[in-house]
Amino acid sequence: MKRMSNTRKIVSVAVVFLIYFLAWFAEARLGTNSMLITVLKKGAVYALIAASMNLLNGFTGLFSLGQAGFMLVGAYVYAVFTIPLKRHAAVYQYYNGGIIQFELPMLVALLLAGIVAALLAALVGLPVLRLKSDYLAIATLGFAEIIRAIVQWDTLGPITNGSNLLKTYPTFKDAKIFGSTVLFPFLVSGVCIVVILLLINSTYGRAFKAIRDDEIAAEAMGVNLFRTKELAFVISCFFAGIGGALLAMFQGTVQANSFKSSMTYDILLMVVIGGMGSISGSVVASFLYIACSEWWLRFLDNELVIGTFHVPLLRSGFRMVVFSAVIMVVVLFFRKGLMGDKELWNLQLNRERRLRR
Amino acid sequence: MSKDNRANILRVEHLTMQFGGVVAVNDLNMEINEGEIVALIGPNGAGKTTAFNCVTGVYEPTNGQVSFKGLPIARSHPSGKMRKLYAGTAADQYVNGTVRLSPDRVTKLGIARTFQNIRLFKGMSVFDNVLLATHLRRTSNVLTATFRLNLREERRNRARAMELLRIVGLDDVVNEMATSLPYGKQRRLEIARALATEPTLLLLDEPAAGMNPQETDELSAFIRQIKDQFKLTVFVIEHHMNLVMDISDRIYVIDFGKLIAEGTPAEIQANPAVIEAYLGGGEE
Amino acid sequence: MFNQLLPYLLAGVSVGGQYALIAVGYTMVYGILRLINFAHGDVFTAAGFFMVYLMASMPLGVAAPLVILLTVALGFTLERVAYKPLRQAPRMSVMISAIGASYLLQNLMWYVTGGLAKQYPVLPLLSDSVQIGAASTKVVTLVTPVLTVLLVVALQLLIKHTKIGMAMRAVSVDFETSQLMGIKINSVISTTFIIGSALAAVGSMLYFTNYSTVTPTVGAMPGLKAFVAAVFGGIGSIPGAVIGAFIIGICENLIKAAGYTAFSDAFTFALLILVLLFRPTGLFGEKTAEKV
Repeated sequence: MKRMSNTRKIVSVAVVFLIYFLAWFAEARLGTNSMLITVLKKGAVYALIAASMNLLNGFTGLFSLGQAGFMLVGAYVYAVFTIPLKRHAAVYQYYNGGIIQFELPMLVALLLAGIVAALLAALVGLPVLRLKSDYLAIATLGFAEIIRAIVQWDTLGPITNGSNLLKTYPTFKDAKIFGSTVLFPFLVSGVCIVVILLLINSTYGRAFKAIRDDEIAAEAMGVNLFRTKELAFVISCFFAGIGGALLAMFQGTVQANSFKSSMTYDILLMVVIGGMGSISGSVVASFLYIACSEWWLRFLDNELVIGTFHVPLLRSGFRMVVFSAVIMVVVLFFRKGLMGDKELWNLQLNRERRLRR
Repeated sequence: MSKDNRANILRVEHLTMQFGGVVAVNDLNMEINEGEIVALIGPNGAGKTTAFNCVTGVYEPTNGQVSFKGLPIARSHPSGKMRKLYAGTAADQYVNGTVRLSPDRVTKLGIARTFQNIRLFKGMSVFDNVLLATHLRRTSNVLTATFRLNLREERRNRARAMELLRIVGLDDVVNEMATSLPYGKQRRLEIARALATEPTLLLLDEPAAGMNPQETDELSAFIRQIKDQFKLTVFVIEHHMNLVMDISDRIYVIDFGKLIAEGTPAEIQANPAVIEAYLGGGEE
Repeated sequence: MFNQLLPYLLAGVSVGGQYALIAVGYTMVYGILRLINFAHGDVFTAAGFFMVYLMASMPLGVAAPLVILLTVALGFTLERVAYKPLRQAPRMSVMISAIGASYLLQNLMWYVTGGLAKQYPVLPLLSDSVQIGAASTKVVTLVTPVLTVLLVVALQLLIKHTKIGMAMRAVSVDFETSQLMGIKINSVISTTFIIGSALAAVGSMLYFTNYSTVTPTVGAMPGLKAFVAAVFGGIGSIPGAVIGAFIIGICENLIKAAGYTAFSDAFTFALLILVLLFRPTGLFGEKTAEKV
């Protein structure tokens, strides 16, 4: 029973507001194109996606590797329905301007991205959720690959633009709040993550965890295994779809080919680093992961000469080697990740309790 | 056995469970009436837990029928070659209308169970283990639960879980992880969790395993107490003869999957077949 | 009609044989460790790069055995570093470690090669052209299925008739009991990785002779397909993996022949999902039940 005290709630909300304010302030001072702001935006997007994956892998114990496929669906739904009509001729140049002759408001399209991904997940879940552990993993991975192939199919070109880029749809620059591009992803992602947290701490969240811990006991306690797994899968994919749409907004262009299984692996590693079963861990790990891979470790890619000494090893590609080696160390020796299955706001609480005893 | 005036609650007819060539349960017939404590005993490997698993829907029986309050919850008949085995016998009546309820639906009807080798939710606190078991009686859906529109129900369930933990004497460890408890407390937690599903029939699979004599005595009293308090019928598998003889109204004895005796504790103790099964087999 | 299909059939049999050589590694490892060795496809890629670098300075006769040796060393190291420390860990952790190892290998290869596609050396004899009916193809197309079958038969003999083979079978039936019976689990597992890597090395020579360039991520797809083949044939069963691989190789090329090249990868996964749904144990797999 991890119910937060009222002061704790107030502090948490205040901290969140402070972070949002600092992000806004940083953008105002450093400019939209600074590295920090780019990392913050991408980190916020991945935080949502990692949280959605953690809901499935960490909380429900379903080892799914289909995240990239559902992100792709979300990204495409968003992009396809928000490309301004007057740009259709240019974007769909090989398909006579495409067949979708309307555009939706940004927020509606964002929601639709989640809904379509969720509906697809409901269909995919019917067969694959009957499979166990590694078979489930490989089947979901397979579905993601199938989705990628279908989206690039030439026959669907009038809708998806085949294997060509989708572009000119509204991005974070078109969603400024208080003149800042960083607040939109922070807000959407933040709201979604709060919903995920509420779900996890509800009676349904307990049912998810029960399935993770012991399927047979969960069933004996009246938890309908299939329906509960399907629910977790659909909800996770709903948020993955929204995450995909946010990623599309971040990138400014979308192409199915970039949603490969390696993208799912990246997200999985964020979840593992943050701790399976800790949403705050996933969030922190996403920002760290993005910051390291895009920014802090950049120097490893550049050759460096100090005086006459040529620092060995440093050259293009070394960053990712170091990065993946660090990940392996975490996976092998710190299996609980940063947070284990604790949440940030419960850490202090545990220490207090220990002291009292 | 003068309890005919009581309503029948569980009826097992011609229950057979085969795993490949092994017949774990062989043509088992038994009845449990409302308000009784009935024990199923037998040497190790006699098929007791298998019978439990057939009743609760974990296994699909090879042949036979299980009904709860007159409603079939499992009913099946072998197909193909094995059918011939049953042709012409009384056990051949389940050809039509296969019924197979999944364990969660069986629980929803009012049969709760504990496990022989304790299956608690390892990643959850003692309190959450019990609270989870109220999930099946929920009236909220995923949206109302997520957005906390079911506060009244949630509060009631929390109070109930707390009450159950108090009854089993675990109210001082509600925030511990379930698996950090000592063995005896884990067994009691399993019972509290089963009670939280609001059962009318409680199935206990070796509740006294690993307990010392004093704990076993306490367990007898405890089973009687919850039986009265929650108006339960209790069906128990047990090895501890003291416990069985102490609490049971009636006892069924199986050996190698077959029923070899049934009766009151006194009758069972005097039954030569039972003595043979226990002493002759060299087990126990 | 047949003349039009012939090149596709030949390509199918050939690529099927190459998948088979990778699939054996997957299926053996799964049989023993119940682990999908996600990094196996990258070991296969690494074998391709070994050949690229070795052939730059030595003749094939020296390079080929060296490639196999280096690949085996890599497979062995992979097991020791990424899987051995996690023997007691939950299955999910080991799978994550496999994914992490795959990531590390790919990045390492990117770093070493500078991320550029490398031209695979022309292997004498294998790269020569031959004429079969109306189709012209490389010798490797014909050599692959023969070599694959020979190697797999040899492997089967090894497993059936040697002491280490018997130990492997025992471990795959019951990990814990065989450990108690005094089987040296670690050496059995190492042997499995050694055999799997050696076959992957041979497979890579055949595969890249056909496809001519090597990039750090090129092995991921054939790796996944070989895994699907292993599942299709019944995971744990070596003949099953080989037959599965040939079926997948041929089907994939027939789909290309029908003009749906974009779906040749998706087909493999659709097949996987169908198999998992309707016959989860595959063509030759054994059933196992969970005990309550």
